[in-house]
Amino acid sequence: MQAWIEFGRGPLFRLAFCLMVLGLLRVVVLTIVGIAEAYRRNSDRIVPWKAIARQTLGWLVPVRRLLGGRPVYSVTSFLFHVGLLAVPLFLAAHVRLWRGAVGFAWPALPQRPADYFTLLAIAAGAGLICGRVFHRGARALSRLQDYIWPPLLLAPFVTGYVCAHAALGPKVYQEMMLVHIYAADLIMLTIPFTKIAHCVLAPFSQAVTAVAWKFVPGAGQEVAATLGYAGLPIWVANSRSAPAAGDKKEALVK
Amino acid sequence: MQPLTEEERKRAFAATRKPEAIRKQRLPVRYHVEDFEVADRPRRFLEAFAAILKHTNYRLALDHYMRVTAKCSRCSVKCQVYVATGDTNDIPCHRSELLLSVYRRHFTVSGVLRGRILGDPGLTDERIQEMADSFYNCTACRRCHFECPMGIDHALITHLGRYILSEIGIVPRALAVSVREQLTGATGNTSAVPVAALKDGLEFLSEEMQEDKGIDIPFPIDQDGAEYLFLPAVSDFLMEGETLMGNAAVFRATGDKWTIGTGYFDGINYGLFYSDHILEQVLQKIRAEAERLQVSKILIGECGHASRSAKFFYPTFCGGKEALPVVNIMEYTHRAWKEGRLKLKPDAISETVTYHDPCNLARSGWVVEQPRELLKAFCTNYVEMTPNRQDNICCGGGGGTVSMDELRPYRTLVGGRMKADQIRATGAKYCVAPCANCKKQLRELVEEHAIDCQIVGLHDLLYKAIIFDSSVPGE
Ligand code: SF4
Repeated sequence: MQAWIEFGRGPLFRLAFCLMVLGLLRVVVLTIVGIAEAYRRNSDRIVPWKAIARQTLGWLVPVRRLLGGRPVYSVTSFLFHVGLLAVPLFLAAHVRLWRGAVGFAWPALPQRPADYFTLLAIAAGAGLICGRVFHRGARALSRLQDYIWPPLLLAPFVTGYVCAHAALGPKVYQEMMLVHIYAADLIMLTIPFTKIAHCVLAPFSQAVTAVAWKFVPGAGQEVAATLGYAGLPIWVANSRSAPAAGDKKEALVK
Repeated sequence: MQPLTEEERKRAFAATRKPEAIRKQRLPVRYHVEDFEVADRPRRFLEAFAAILKHTNYRLALDHYMRVTAKCSRCSVKCQVYVATGDTNDIPCHRSELLLSVYRRHFTVSGVLRGRILGDPGLTDERIQEMADSFYNCTACRRCHFECPMGIDHALITHLGRYILSEIGIVPRALAVSVREQLTGATGNTSAVPVAALKDGLEFLSEEMQEDKGIDIPFPIDQDGAEYLFLPAVSDFLMEGETLMGNAAVFRATGDKWTIGTGYFDGINYGLFYSDHILEQVLQKIRAEAERLQVSKILIGECGHASRSAKFFYPTFCGGKEALPVVNIMEYTHRAWKEGRLKLKPDAISETVTYHDPCNLARSGWVVEQPRELLKAFCTNYVEMTPNRQDNICCGGGGGTVSMDELRPYRTLVGGRMKADQIRATGAKYCVAPCANCKKQLRELVEEHAIDCQIVGLHDLLYKAIIFDSSVPGE
């Protein structure tokens, strides 16, 4: 078992971490390129950057927004995020690991606040699960990953807390550690491909929406041409006049 | 808010079309559509979707929304439609998912791959029917956007969904017929008002004002080189004479040069509701008229969607940064008043007055305080409805639905349900709604809910407050 633990926090951790960073980098770059491209395609280049910045900041520091729709759920979610960021990054044991691995690190949280943050995250996470299961709207919207994420994110917290505080036999301790480490690795591996990618993408949302509302001059005509209806008046439903046989439409649909 | 009673639900969702028509077109929607039959609809939908993705900026938003959506259901609290129906299909995030899932399945590598592996046939005709219904239940008010922690704009998805549907021929008839007249009809405007009738009507209004105020208040027509080209929603010429009188009176007081062009005098642009292509073509008509008359500014009347479509898309389609500036009439009046060029009697209106923010003016924060400052300048008893400003509640007739008379029970019982309560709570005698769409919807709404409140435009009231200086220019 010790070998598995070593593997999980050695090579596998490094791999998962690198993949997470690369995966997130990829979506961030794609988004920035997309924004730039959309901006370039629009002819007027009038974009309300100030309003975008204000809104983005407003959501990053959501003091005023928490009490809008679903206030209890929103506040819970905020607390969850606080715990989620504080503990993995600032727990003394983690900071020590970093220093060992890369040679430098940052100040760690003292043990007691770290404990509080851990308990906070666990409680808030449980609250979020309830907020999803017992809310009619949220239940209707939820996908599988929405149910999987909170428990998966909490797994390292619970196991880590237990390991740090309970008097466990060495075997149980090792098992707990195993779960702790592998859950963390799994989280890192999947972040870029799931909704948790919002950790890096959410700050771009307002800008994305703003430039997406900037339409492209001439696009309507080009769409009609691509569909093979360039000469027809536009309200003639395209579907009413089948394209001529042999019409070479580009194969756009897979 | 009272939940829908069974009887109300029945009325709101009653079929408006013959079962044969629904069956023949395979389209169980409540708005009327033109007579068409479509074979192979899913394939055509995907082709149209692909073509639109290729030439526009939508892909960016779809990719982004698909990645970040957290399904937190905060938006459900804000949508006046969902709050009224309680049908989870009306949750904004669910509405968007209808289209996002098609995008994911057919236009992303992982979706295509997964579809192949799992043997998922992809887009079905039923899904298209569902979208055709859902996207016109939404009033595109954008209120949910400000509630989304992930910044998703569900109204943008609604807009795109409608655009794709229109490319395969699914468009509400009321909108399609108006646009056809506007772009190729003899009259060239959505209400089919001939120029002769326009002139008659305006002359009549001038006579009224002459009688009323004892001075000549003209509607200048085809004035070359005027500063402002005035474009109200063309329906104002038929139904909102009092608003127009107020508009003219303001110009009489300020002395600025404005004109109505007989070549084109319609601010309405249904393209904003369902097609970028039409949006562009209608704006080109404005540009042509502005160039013909050599004006230096475009002035849109009291109409939310007309103002937004011109303000935010005229530069896009008509010359970029060099395009003529677009001004809303309330902005203009407010500035004139601030500059002291317009004098108002401070106690002209003593009844309780409240203000309804049209979504298309207020949501972006563009025209929010100006009308309030004006109203407070001549109403002694002004009250706010809550929520207001950028967080206002839609009248329930947005997104073009107000033009579809067959949807009236739906609009007044479902879409406008929250609004009705909100207006009633103010106890106001007048509700100022500076938008042709909102006015029509709110009038039907107060009638349905038996609320004793008169729906008026801002300039209708302002007209009563203007003090005409005998030394005004042009005298
Ligand atoms: S845009 Fe308005 S009507 Fe449409 S889903 Fe959002 S809140 Fe509801």
